[in-house]
Order: sequence, then C-alpha cells, then structure tokens
Amino acid sequence: MSESQAVSKADSETVLVSEQLSQSYGSVSVLSEVSVTIDSGSLTAVVGPNGSGKTTLLKTLAGLLSPAEGAVQYLGPDAEREIGYLPQRPSFRPQFSTLETLEFYTALVDDDPEELLSRVGLRDAADRRVEALSGGMTRLLGLAQATVGNPPVVVLDEPGSGLDPTMRKRTFEVAHELANDGTAVICSSHDLALVEQWADHVIVLDGGSVVDTGSPAELCRAHGAESLWEVFDVTIEKPDDQVAVLGVDDE
Amino acid sequence: MSNKIQAIAAREVVSVIRARSTLALLMGVVLVTFGIVFVSNAEPDYLPTAVDLLLPMEFLVPAVAVALGYRTIISDSTRGELDVLATYPLSVSRYIIGVFIGRAIALTVLLTVPLVIIGIYLATTSPDAPTFLATHQGVDSPLIFVRFIGLTVIFGLVVLAMTIAASALASTQRSALVLGLVVLALVVIGLDLLILRGVAGGTVADGWLTTVLSVSPTSAYRGLVFETVLSTAVQTDLQQASPIMSTVGLLLWLIGSLAVATVAVSRR
Repeated sequence: MSESQAVSKADSETVLVSEQLSQSYGSVSVLSEVSVTIDSGSLTAVVGPNGSGKTTLLKTLAGLLSPAEGAVQYLGPDAEREIGYLPQRPSFRPQFSTLETLEFYTALVDDDPEELLSRVGLRDAADRRVEALSGGMTRLLGLAQATVGNPPVVVLDEPGSGLDPTMRKRTFEVAHELANDGTAVICSSHDLALVEQWADHVIVLDGGSVVDTGSPAELCRAHGAESLWEVFDVTIEKPDDQVAVLGVDDE
Repeated sequence: MSNKIQAIAAREVVSVIRARSTLALLMGVVLVTFGIVFVSNAEPDYLPTAVDLLLPMEFLVPAVAVALGYRTIISDSTRGELDVLATYPLSVSRYIIGVFIGRAIALTVLLTVPLVIIGIYLATTSPDAPTFLATHQGVDSPLIFVRFIGLTVIFGLVVLAMTIAASALASTQRSALVLGLVVLALVVIGLDLLILRGVAGGTVADGWLTTVLSVSPTSAYRGLVFETVLSTAVQTDLQQASPIMSTVGLLLWLIGSLAVATVAVSRR
C-alpha cells in the first residue's frame, strides 16, 4: 500500500449510509432491508447475480430512486455536486465531441473538461464525435462525467460491462485512483477478479438482500476460500439451471 | 438567464443545427411558404400574402414545432441523461426552461428566415410599396407582415411547449411520436372541432364564441391575425376574436405545457 493510500484510508470517514433500505416495483420486492455504510477514500464493490438488485441499490444510493422503506443519508462534506453517477449504459448526444460533452457538464458544475478527459485517458479523443467512440471510450467518457465537480461520492453501475479486459482494467484503475484521492467510489461488477484486485470493500447482494460484506481478504478468510469467486459460489443461492427472477417464488 | 439555463439552451441549439433532419425541415418550410406566395394569383403585397399564408401556416407551424420538439425530453430520458442530470445542481424547471428556450430559438429561425425573405421579396416587388409604416387603418405596409411573422412565431412557440410536455409524458420514443401526433391533431383540427360541436349543440352561446375560440391555440392565432393584422387594412364591424382572451389563451397553453413537462420529468 502506498503512503498516499495509507493516509487516505486512515482519514476515511463515513459519507453515505443506507438504513433498512427496501425497494419494490409494484408487487415485486427488489431490495429488502439493505443497510450499507460507504466510507470516503474507499472503493466499494457491489457484486451479485443478474437481477439481484445491484442497479436498484446504486440508483437508490445515488438519490435517483426514492426507497419504499428506509433511508439514504449523505454525511459527506458540503459540495456543489454531492454524488456523481455513471449509468449502466452511458449515452451522450451523438452530435457532440467528447470535449464538448464535458464542456456542457462543466457548465453545470465548475470543473476543467480537458483535465477530466486526461484523467480517463481520452485526451487524444477530445475532438472525436461521441457517435464515433467505441463502447469502452464511451464508458470512459461516462466515468469522466461522473467525476465532474469532484463529488465526494461516485456511483458507477457496471463500469466495465461489455468491455475488453484492458478497458475493463482501466475503468477499475480510474475508480481506484479516485478512491485514493479521497472519493468514496461505489461500483457494481461481475468481474470478480478485478473486484478482488482493486476493491477495499465488497457487498454481496442476492435476491435483494445483503448476504455478506467485508474486504476481499476478510470474505475469503471467513469462507475458507482462495478467491472471491469461491466466496461468490458458496454465498449465492443457485436455484438450479434457471435464472433467479425476483418476485417469483419456488413452489 | 442563468448560466445553467444558457448551457442547456445552447446544447439544444447546437443539437438542432447539427441534426441531419434540420436542413430538410428548413427546406420544407421554404418550399411550402415560397410555393404559396409564388403560386398564388394575389398581388405581391403584404396583406394579400398574409391572407394567403394564414391557412397553410395553421398546419405548417404545428407540424414544424412537433417535428422539432417531440423527441427532446424522451431522448434525454432513454439515453439515461435525465438520471445523470439529476445528480447535478440543476432544478427540473431550469432544465425544462433551457430546453424550451433552445428549441424556441431554433423554431424561430426556421419560421422567420423564409418569411423574412418573402417580406424582402414583397418590399422589392410590391407595386405600391410604401416608404412609411402604417399607423392608420386601410394602409397595407411592411408592419402588417412583421406582425404576421411575430404572431406566427408565437403560435409556433405555444405548440412547441405543448410538444415538449408530450415528450416529457412519453415513456418511449414511439409513444413520444404518437403523443406528438396527438398534439398536432388537437392543434390543427381537434380543439376547433370541439368548439364547433359546442356551438352547433348550443353548449356555447353566441356571445361567448369569441372567448371560447381563445381556448384553441389555432383559433387564438387566427383571431389575433384577423384582429391585429388584417383588420388594420380592412375595416369591418364584425369582431372575429377577442385579442386579449386570445393572448391569454396562448399564454396559458404555453405556461401550462411547460408546467406539465416539469411535473412529468420530476416524477420520472
């Protein structure tokens, strides 16, 4: 661990708390009594099978969904933009260049668009139209957008989804750098190897509930597992060869 | 105007300028308006030209406004940009106002450019082009045509606001198109038919007709053109519409539509 990391970890404080969070879509319960604590300067990964409620949890933490029950509390410092958000499939107006896109967002909250592009490695694509960007570059642009105004909390919904291994790794590196700078980063992911490598804290979600939580090392130790994948394997209920669908009970 | 509203409005203007469909839309407006003026047998004067353009404008202006506005909010929604913008210190009302101003600028240019060119054509070809502005009834003048252009733009802005509300209420691009077409049908014929039915059925008393006509944006526009453009040059004892009620009607449609759009986006 580098010195800066050690400093940021020591200074970390709770910036976001959810208490007994429940969420439902109609009669389908998507989240059930989820309580999580997010600290500054840490990268928290939310893992779980498809349909386990990851996106709903992240949207609720970002303040985009009002919980049916429970509450989300922002405890971080005063900021013009408290929480940054990267949607699962970020998309921008195709007629604009990457720089113009960030210039628009930085007109809403003061920041330097060129510096933001440099941070995610898109400086050389500044003049390229969004419609001409690859999926990975679009996601990196989304990552830059999520950090506009230097929000104390950044929520990333599957930042590496659908990307090649190099791009996937790059998104985690950027998230890790943000955490090192003191930002509380929460991201969902299916890439357990990258989560194990970069995350400080892991929340395992299944069927809308938190089934386990801790650092990757703590989780492995608690389950006598050698990798996060093994932890995932023993903590997640697998009905059979069918996809788990929330709201549908097994007979 | 705040910097944030300016940023939203500027993004809309640039989006319209760079959209491939905008040039086609402009060409359509130019072709229709120029076609009417040049095919018409009327003398190339301001008043006859305004009379010739009035009826086609009642369809053309709503069509252009709907084409320009029906995808505005729903596109931001389906792209996930509304979620992203919700994390910025930007109120929904400012977002809606910014979107409206940006699209309004584009619509104003789309409608004004062809009409101003026609105005210049009339100024140079009119057989008895006046060198002064009309201040008395019975005089055909450029001011008549300027008023006509102004009222046409205001009519367009009202329909644009209604279309933005429809876009905010839609859940998909397809439903946005359907709702946009509903707005078009309502404005072009639907509300007028309802009023006509009310008159025929005796629900609307004769004395209330000029007031009730202001409920329909198209009737309000038509009434304002009759009362403030045509009546300037053609003296008549018959009152076609109440200018005050027509103005109030258009204003209520505009403000009401933007309020509906704001509530719809807030509830997403």
